[in-house]
Amino acid sequence: MLQILRPDGSLTSDPPVGIDRTRELFAAMLTARRYDEKATAIQKQGRLATYAPFRGQEAAQVGSAAALRPDDWMVATYRDAAAMWMHGYGWELLLLGRMGDERGGHPADGVPVLPPSITVGAHMLHAVGLAWAARIRGEDRIAITYFGDGATSEGDFHEAMNFASVYRTGTVFVCQNNGYAISMPVSGQTASATISQKALAYGMEGVRVDGNDLFAVLAATNAAAGKARTGRGPTLIEAVTYRVGPHTTTDDPGRYRTGGEEAMWRDLDPVERVRRYLVAESAWDAEWEAQVLAEATGDIETAVRRAESLPAADGLEIFEAMFERLTPDLARQQGDVR
Amino acid sequence: MKTIARSINDALRTALAERDEVVLMGEDVGRTGGVFRVTDGLLETFGPDRVIDTPVAESGIVGTAFGMAVAGLRPVVEIQFMGFSYPAYDQIVSHVGRIRNRSRHRFTAPMVIRMPYGGGIGAAEHHSESTEAIYTHIPGVKVVVPSTPYDAKGLLLAAIDDPDPVIFMEPIRLYRSVKEEVPDEPIRVPIGEARVVRGGADVTIIAYGSMTRESRQAADLLAEQGIQAEIIDLRTLTPLDSDTVVASVRATHRAVVVHEAQRTGGFGAELIARIQEEALYSLEAPIERVTGWDIVVPLKRTERHHLPNADRIVRAALRTLEA
Amino acid sequence: MEFRLPDIGEGLTEAEIVRWLVPVGSAVEIDAPLVEVETDKAVVEIPSPFAGTVLAHGAEEGETILVGSVLAVIGSDTDAPIVGTLDTQEEALPPRVDVVPASAPTPPAPPSSEPGGLTGAVRALPVVRRLARELGVDLSRVAGTGLDGKITRDDVQRAAEGHSGIRSETATEADERVPMSRLRRTIASHMERSWREIPHVTTFDQVDASRLLSARAALAQRYDRAVPIEALVIKAVLPVLHRFPEFNASLDGDDVILHKRYDVGLAVDTGGGLIVPVIKRADRMDLMGMADEIARLSTAARQRTLVPDEVVGATFTVSNIGAVGGGFGTPIIPYGTTAILSVGRAADTPVVRNGAVAIAPLVPLSLSYDHRIIDGGLGRAFMGVLMENLEEPALFLI
Repeated sequence: MLQILRPDGSLTSDPPVGIDRTRELFAAMLTARRYDEKATAIQKQGRLATYAPFRGQEAAQVGSAAALRPDDWMVATYRDAAAMWMHGYGWELLLLGRMGDERGGHPADGVPVLPPSITVGAHMLHAVGLAWAARIRGEDRIAITYFGDGATSEGDFHEAMNFASVYRTGTVFVCQNNGYAISMPVSGQTASATISQKALAYGMEGVRVDGNDLFAVLAATNAAAGKARTGRGPTLIEAVTYRVGPHTTTDDPGRYRTGGEEAMWRDLDPVERVRRYLVAESAWDAEWEAQVLAEATGDIETAVRRAESLPAADGLEIFEAMFERLTPDLARQQGDVR
Repeated sequence: MKTIARSINDALRTALAERDEVVLMGEDVGRTGGVFRVTDGLLETFGPDRVIDTPVAESGIVGTAFGMAVAGLRPVVEIQFMGFSYPAYDQIVSHVGRIRNRSRHRFTAPMVIRMPYGGGIGAAEHHSESTEAIYTHIPGVKVVVPSTPYDAKGLLLAAIDDPDPVIFMEPIRLYRSVKEEVPDEPIRVPIGEARVVRGGADVTIIAYGSMTRESRQAADLLAEQGIQAEIIDLRTLTPLDSDTVVASVRATHRAVVVHEAQRTGGFGAELIARIQEEALYSLEAPIERVTGWDIVVPLKRTERHHLPNADRIVRAALRTLEA
Repeated sequence: MEFRLPDIGEGLTEAEIVRWLVPVGSAVEIDAPLVEVETDKAVVEIPSPFAGTVLAHGAEEGETILVGSVLAVIGSDTDAPIVGTLDTQEEALPPRVDVVPASAPTPPAPPSSEPGGLTGAVRALPVVRRLARELGVDLSRVAGTGLDGKITRDDVQRAAEGHSGIRSETATEADERVPMSRLRRTIASHMERSWREIPHVTTFDQVDASRLLSARAALAQRYDRAVPIEALVIKAVLPVLHRFPEFNASLDGDDVILHKRYDVGLAVDTGGGLIVPVIKRADRMDLMGMADEIARLSTAARQRTLVPDEVVGATFTVSNIGAVGGGFGTPIIPYGTTAILSVGRAADTPVVRNGAVAIAPLVPLSLSYDHRIIDGGLGRAFMGVLMENLEEPALFLI
């Protein structure tokens, strides 16, 4: 398993980025965590329909997204808010989605991020098609897709890996092995010793990294993206991490895991790890972090306020986006709603 | 005179030539030209980047094509038989039909999924399915079924042009057994328009796919008894052209719906509901359904007891006149 | 045993004979290779389903045969399995033409005296339609009292009762609804059309019929039978029509067709309504012949035995309303003609002759004509000549 930044903040090898960039990425991880806390809180206040927290997975998401070019495609899941935000999908849209408003599925034109996939395992194929299309069109943009350990059991994971390998599409598969698929531990999900080794079966490269290590994730994704971009095919990155929170806010992890396990993973916290590194590099102080958090909080509160103050669409709007144009039947049915 | 198979080949050739974004994908579509030779010769002309032979993975094919469509290509996917489309059903219902709505027009999936379908071909199990009802029920997806060579070409080109996903059903039984004059130039038949293929004042027969042929035979038999049947070929299942159907039944007062698919929950039930909603006061008799039974499609030796034939359609029409 | 070309691949319709592997006259075993054929998909070797001698080849090498047609005939003593084939006969579709669907609007029907019936959609639930059928009620004649003109069960019940004449004793306060008879409906429809389309002008006059009536009496005595006054009137009118052809004409678009034939319609009151049988070629009849024809047509009209040809084609119409006691009137021009003459009952009336008052049988005349074609001057001129004829029969009985 690739590791560059140890839990204590020390390095095993040279970091893939300089100190300034590391501070930027740390700030991003702080911001992401702030969003996760806010979303969890307001869901418990009944202001979000559901929320799937990503706490503990900040390095896996921020580190991998940081390796992308702005025009690279991203196909992610309901738990990958941090990665999606890093790639241009605004907090406000993410919140709208969780509030049950389809307008949250419409990012700006320059943001090549698909709405978060709710189904597990079906969307990796989409990333294969996107990358393939890019090559057909002569573009060197790649497609990254995020999924969890549970998704590797779905048939479409196999089909996506197979297609990507056979056609050598520029797809980067990032599996955040966060230990659980709701209550099922990864040991019950697959008999494979690792998820990354599954790539061997397809003739694809598989890389296992410490998912809580910002640098390792970034380095691995850089390499995979470079490979994909130059037509040398796909890569499967298994980022070993931990889902600190519940599956969603209605889940109770105490029913299937121990406090001891949770405590162990707290010591491996990805945000803390980078903080320790920055402290060691004399590149951190409390006011700076407080300032980052204050700014993050401000942005997130604004996003919450804007999402919540957007009036719900009327009953006629639900017909409008089935096709480019209303069909006669839909127009008639819409008339019934009127 | 061209067959349906030839007309589809023409349409695909035209589409590949006219638009660089069009890509064909499916099992055995390239080197072997398709198991029904419908895509014959296209790989040779357009190359493996445009005509792609895929692994045996229906979900993979549709899911990948979906990604391509989102990225701006126009994939035309072949599922070898409708009976093998079910692994791809999740991709179709969960993603292909939904992405426009999910993203409020930001991302769309302009793609065509071709599905050879239907019985009367004496093939092995699973190869004679007519399960269009599960596809017509999906919001966000259009379902089209030509029954003549002209319509096959025109509807396929229209489907490829359509900004939304279209499932293009091809009646295998008619691939080579009907011929018609079809222009060499590109033609377009609008999606969402039924066609009155025969005018008649006494009873309306509504059919699609290979059942249009049985309906024509039935109409000839009825004419010998002095009964003039009007035949409507739906051509598109969704969005349904109910206006044409209703106008006809209002004029004839009697209707017979024909499909080879199983009876319960079949598309005929939708047609009958529409007719009942809009033409009840014009009906002189209950609407008849001539359909397959609620059974697994029988294998070759007993299949003829299941598929509607002209005789069953005639008897149904006569029942509407005796009521 | 005939071996017919099977469908060897899904949906196969025909195949080309590539090579016969067993010539005619040679023996073949069960499942031994018999012939190579080429289909759309591949070259396929077909084994023989029978053992025996190949008696005939169904086609030559290079020829194409349809599935289901005879591929080979094999002489055999054994019961061989029959190879099933599918119905995959080819069909050539006719050229694509736009058919006229049942729902297409129908063009207006040409004028005819056949009852036209009411057109338009009849709105009635199937249960009401069945009731109507059982009670023998024609729904097209029932006005619906339900929503949007929907015909209800009650409407049908009432229509049925109205026909059989049964009146409800408890419904003495309600208006009676009587559906029109077929004849009445036809008359109504024609009247409405004529009135709507033709600008009518009617000119009135009275004619001294004394000499006409004494001529009639003389003829009756000579031939020992009644001579209908209509025969004399028509005889008087015919030369006037000849002189004023606009009165024996039809309007067709922007053209006036001046008829060269003189088919005079004569209105007959049948008791249930007016029927107008036509005296064909009235100008070729002598007076007594016309009298016979008039009698014949009137009887047939009353008995409803007229054939369709006898009630179409009038070029001018005469109506004797005097027979039912009428005087002046405003007759309605039958559609397709330009004029009609109505003749009232003769009444002894004081007149002035040679400066002295005398009593004369005056007959009221009412002539309606199509003012698009015939102006007032022409109308008065026609009337003038007609009256001269009626006053002095010698002017037309030659």
